[in-house]
This record gives sequence, C-alpha cells and structure tokens, in this order.
Amino acid sequence: MKILTTVKRVVDPDAKVRLNSDNSGLVTEGLEAKMNAFDQYGVEEAIKLKEAHGGEVIVVSIGDSAGTKEIRTALAMGGDRGVLVTADMSEIDPKGVADLLAAVIEREAPDIVLMGKLSVDSENNQVGQRVAAKLGWPQATFAFTCEVADGWATVGREVDGGTANVRVKLPAIVTADLRLNEPRYASLPGIMKAKRKPIEELTPDDLGVELEPQLIIQGYSLPPARAAGEIVDDVDSLIDRLQNTAKVL
Amino acid sequence: MTQRFDLYNPTEAHATIREMVRSWGEEHVEPQAREHDETEKFNEGLFRRLGSELGLFGVTVAEEHGGVGLDAVASVIIIEELSRFDPGLMLSYLAHDILFVNNFYHTANPEQREHYLPRVISGEWIAGMAMSEPGAGTDVLGMTTRAVRQGDSYVLNGTKAWITNAPCGDVFLVYARTSDDPDNCRQAWSSFVVERGWPGVSVGRKEEKMGMKSSPTSQLIFEDVEVPVENLVGTEGSALIHMMRNLEIERVTLAAQSAGIALRCLDDMARYAITERKAFGKHLSEFGQIQRFLAESYAETASGRALLYDVSRRISSDSRQSLGAAAAKLALTGTAERVARRAIQTLGGYGYTREFPVERMLRDAILLSIGGGTNEAMHKNIVSDLRRIYG
Ligand SMILES: Cc1cc2nc3c(=O)[nH]c(=O)nc-3n(C[C@H](O)[C@H](O)[C@H](O)COP(=O)(O)OP(=O)(O)OC[C@H]3O[C@@H](n4cnc5c(N)ncnc54)[C@H](O)[C@@H]3O)c2cc1C
Repeated sequence: MKILTTVKRVVDPDAKVRLNSDNSGLVTEGLEAKMNAFDQYGVEEAIKLKEAHGGEVIVVSIGDSAGTKEIRTALAMGGDRGVLVTADMSEIDPKGVADLLAAVIEREAPDIVLMGKLSVDSENNQVGQRVAAKLGWPQATFAFTCEVADGWATVGREVDGGTANVRVKLPAIVTADLRLNEPRYASLPGIMKAKRKPIEELTPDDLGVELEPQLIIQGYSLPPARAAGEIVDDVDSLIDRLQNTAKVL
Repeated sequence: MTQRFDLYNPTEAHATIREMVRSWGEEHVEPQAREHDETEKFNEGLFRRLGSELGLFGVTVAEEHGGVGLDAVASVIIIEELSRFDPGLMLSYLAHDILFVNNFYHTANPEQREHYLPRVISGEWIAGMAMSEPGAGTDVLGMTTRAVRQGDSYVLNGTKAWITNAPCGDVFLVYARTSDDPDNCRQAWSSFVVERGWPGVSVGRKEEKMGMKSSPTSQLIFEDVEVPVENLVGTEGSALIHMMRNLEIERVTLAAQSAGIALRCLDDMARYAITERKAFGKHLSEFGQIQRFLAESYAETASGRALLYDVSRRISSDSRQSLGAAAAKLALTGTAERVARRAIQTLGGYGYTREFPVERMLRDAILLSIGGGTNEAMHKNIVSDLRRIYG
C-alpha cells in the first residue's frame, strides 16, 4: 500500500508570538518550530497502516528548506522517504498549498493520503478538502478512527454533537483529528536511520504549478488584553455581574 | 541546503533529539519527579523506557555495534534536557550510559562487547561504575580493592562506596589493584566487568541522601569474588588510562546535569517574577534586587552552556579536552547551585516548599559539585593543565 502523509512546520504553539512593526506578520526569529500537532496524528496513522498492510509511507511538506527537519522527524517515526516543495509560505494561500499537494499526489499516485485536519498556526482547515476537490477524490475529514480493507476506508468522523461513520473508496483523502491515535515519539535509532532516508526537493515550477494567491492577508492584530478577574461576595452579586456587566445571562 | 551554525544543535538530528526528549520529559518525567524524590525510590519502569521507547542507551556506541552512533554533544543534550525534570533519574542514566557503556565500549574486546553490549543497550541490564571507596575518593590511587590472579580467574576483595545504581544494577565496571610494584604505581590498576549475581557480590544499605534521591546509591562489596579472566577489560594495569579517557565525557555530562538544573530554575524564576507574582502593586521583576537575580542567573547559565557545548563538540577519541571539560564542570556546578538558590529566594515561601521543584533542584545541584570529581579536584586539574601552558 502506498501511503502519503503531509507535515507542516509551524511555530511552537506554546511560544509567545509578537507581531512585526507593520503588523503584516509574526516575528518568528528565535522561536522554535515544530511539526503541526494534527499532522502528527496523520503521520502516526500512516505508519500504523504501513505496519498493518505493508507498503511505503511518503512524507510531504511545503515550506522553506528548514522544513526538512519536520520531514525527518516523520521519517524517524517510521516514514520511508520525503518530498519537500520549497515555497515562501508568506506568499501562498490554502489554494496554493492544495494545488502543490495535488500535483505531488498525482505524481506519487498513493492509495490513501493522511493529513492533519488543520494547521495550528493559520487554522484555515481547507487544504484536505481542497485537495480532494481538485483531484476528484472522496474525502473523510476529522477522523477519529480509520480502518482500511478491500480498497475502502471506513472512517469515524467527529462532527457537531456526535460522530458519523463513512466509507470512502480509495484513493481518498483522510484528515486526522486528535483522538485518532497517540503519536509515537521518534526514537534515537529512528532519528539516525532517518538521516539516510531520501528527501527530494522540488519547486512549484518543477510541479508545473503557478501560484496565484486568491486570499491575501491584510494584517494581524493581537487579541485585546484580558481584563483582570474579580472576586464577588455572593451568588446574588455574581448573577448581577453576569447579567449586567458581562451580559451573558 | 545551507543552515546556520548552531552550537547547541550542531546537526538536524541533534535538534530533533532535543525536541523529542524534552517533550517526552514533560509528559513522562516531570509528573513523577516529586514523588520519587519524596519516597527516595528509583523509577525502574521509567528508566527502562528511556531505552525501550526512546533508544537512549548506547548513544556513543557505533551503529554496527548496536548503538546509536552519536557523539558527546548528543549525550549532553539528552542529559541536559531531562535534568530539567528529574536530575536524580538522569544521574542513574549517566552512570549507566556514560560511566559504564561508553567506557566499556571503548575498552572492551569483541567478545566482551558481544556479550554485554546488547544487554545494557536494550536496558535489560542496568549498569554502573565502581571506583570510589570508603577511604578513597579524590585520592583515586588510595583505592584498596584488590584482584589477585589465581589460574583462570581473579579473586576480588574490597568495598566500593557511593555507587550509583548499585542497589538496582546488574553489572558494574570495577577498578581494582592488581600490582603492588611501588615503582610502577600508574600501572597498578585494572578494570573488570563484574556481575551482581555472582557469588560474593553484595550491596550495602541504600544511602540516605540530601538530594538525587530518585537515584539509588549504596556500597558494593566484594568478598572472594571469582572474576573470570575473560572479564578483565583491556590489559592488566591499563585501568588508569581507561579512567582518564572517560573523564572528559563524564565531566561534560555531569556539567550538562547542572545546565539542565540551571535552565529549569531560570525558567521557573523568570516566569514567576515577570508574569506571576506581584508585591507592592508591581511584578517582582520591577525590583532591582530581583532583576539582579534574573540577569546574573541568565548570564551565568548562558556563558556556562556556551563553554559546555563548545568543549563537548571537540571531544573525540583523538582529541584531549581535559582543561575544557574540567572548566565546564566547575563553572556549571557553581552556576546551578547559585541559580537554584536565587530561584528559591525569588519564589519566597513558595520556593522553600516542596510544592515547587526549585528546592529539590538545589539539593540535587549540590551533588554535582562532589560526584565525578569535586570542584576542588577541578581546581587542581585546571591548574595542572595551566602549568603545562604557562610553566
Ligand atoms: C550520590 C553520589 C553518587 C556517586 N556515584 C558514584 C559512582 O557511581 N561511582 C563512583 O566510583 N563514585 C561515586 N560517587 C563518589 C564520588 O565520586 C566521590 O564522593 C567524590 O569523588 C569525592 O570523594 P570523597 O567523597 O572520598 O571525598 P574526599 O576525596 O575525601 O574529599 C573530601 C574533601 O576534601 C577535598 N579534597 C580532597 N583531596 C583534595 C586535594 N588534593 N586538594 C584539595 N582538596 C581536596 C575534596 O574536594 C572534598 O571537599 C558518588 C558520590 C555520591 C555522593
């Protein structure tokens, strides 16, 4: 089975971010980068599928060349080879990411694609869906279970108020939610083996993809500072505050 | 692909290891640290998982011999990161992977490697190293443990003191006198691999310690232990050479424990002073005296780490770094004690209680000025190297 999984390099979500002077972006200098948390579930599921069915796991990332680190982490967890499409992420929108991924997927022709449901930095939650649409493949998003047999994937999806079970014919796009599995840690021997696994570097040109952003970020602002909390004397004044100050009741 | 030089993570693999052990440490090491300090219990299950889950045993052993094939910097990263959470657990790790595995690997013959390496790298066996004795620590040549050749074995007698992992260990590298020739005292010592299960090997009562309580320490006692000649490591009389060769990586990894302690205490005190605690309507970090605690702690930790990593990356089998390794240990052990003490002071009453890890960190930090060569021994060694330069 040929399994393709995607990883994105994101700023450590626990790091304190600052905006640059003209509020056009974040200051990432000096901040640690990590693999997008939802991608870890996708990678883990890809490796579990390989362990159960045999085959190959291809790890794809789009971003600057530092992204080889996140690809290598996925290879250390058990992936077989990597593909890095180098592109300036500040000039690329979800459609561009989807176009590039779709081009890689067409080249690789995997049986299944496992992705994170969204990336924790931009929270667009569009790429999996767009790739499926572009390729005309079925999609199962927000997966919390995933079974593959006889050319079909049965996926449990987390939806508002409950769960839904769907069957999608392979090849298909599955996006991972956080209850899908518990991602393994890369072991030291795994990290050393990953050093020798191949990572192919491609450009959008190599893939014949022209990037024309349709979504342009106008600027960023930090959320307003939260006002200090207040300790009230009794339940009556709590209700009063909730009704008249916070206006939530 | 050109990447900027990063002293602390010289390769991408080093950076990945740091990230991996830190996040594993937050998840698995931090939550158990206080309990194991209080109960003075060794967390054997967690220790074995360092090997079985993360593959952290045999870091410096070549891949073709079943190890990871990395360098001193990798060991320093692992020990620094996990010492942020539980320095005691990492002292036991250091005794296993640096004092035993690294030393044994570089000295043992192929049969010995084949027999022992798989057991200690898998974590099936826990290992340690026994040099110090009740009457001889700094004064190594005062050791009285003796091995006398009789036919195909040596008969070993003596008592080793404060041996990390003795209560839980299966196998030890033991230094013993094999000659009394007064003209040749540097060749009077040999090293042996001794198994805990052999007749005549016993352990003393578990030591009750000020800190590093999650790492078990006791005497290791040999009474007429028959050690087969196959378990002589290296040649007879060569032990001081192995001991010296291992000292540098021992010192930088012990310094890495201090660095981890200093980083943790700096984190806790900075967060508390800058964002949490207010007095007189201001954050503590507004007060000049607290600013001095923070600034000096940061400067000392950062400079100590720069020295530590610069020395560690130069350590290899063909390059001597005795001066740098001693300097790194001396600098960082003092730094860790001072930073931990300032962290307690900054946290005030909270800092003095067990609810916060900084008091434990200070207790743990003090061992590092004693074990693996005292700070006074580092003074002595540094000056003897300086004499070579200036004398
Ligand atoms: C928790 C713990 C774990 C340990 N683990 C191990 C282990 O796994 N294996 C092992 O072999 N050992 C181990 N040790 C022993 C440790 O290495 C020794 O305690 C250390 O080397 C100091 O020796 P000592 O205690 O005999 O002190 P001494 O050598 O008696 O020193 C006492 C004091 O005199 C000073 N001093 C001694 N000689 C000089 C001198 N020439 N000039 C100036 N000052 C001097 C010392 O610096 C110190 O301040 C451990 C110790 C502890 C506490």
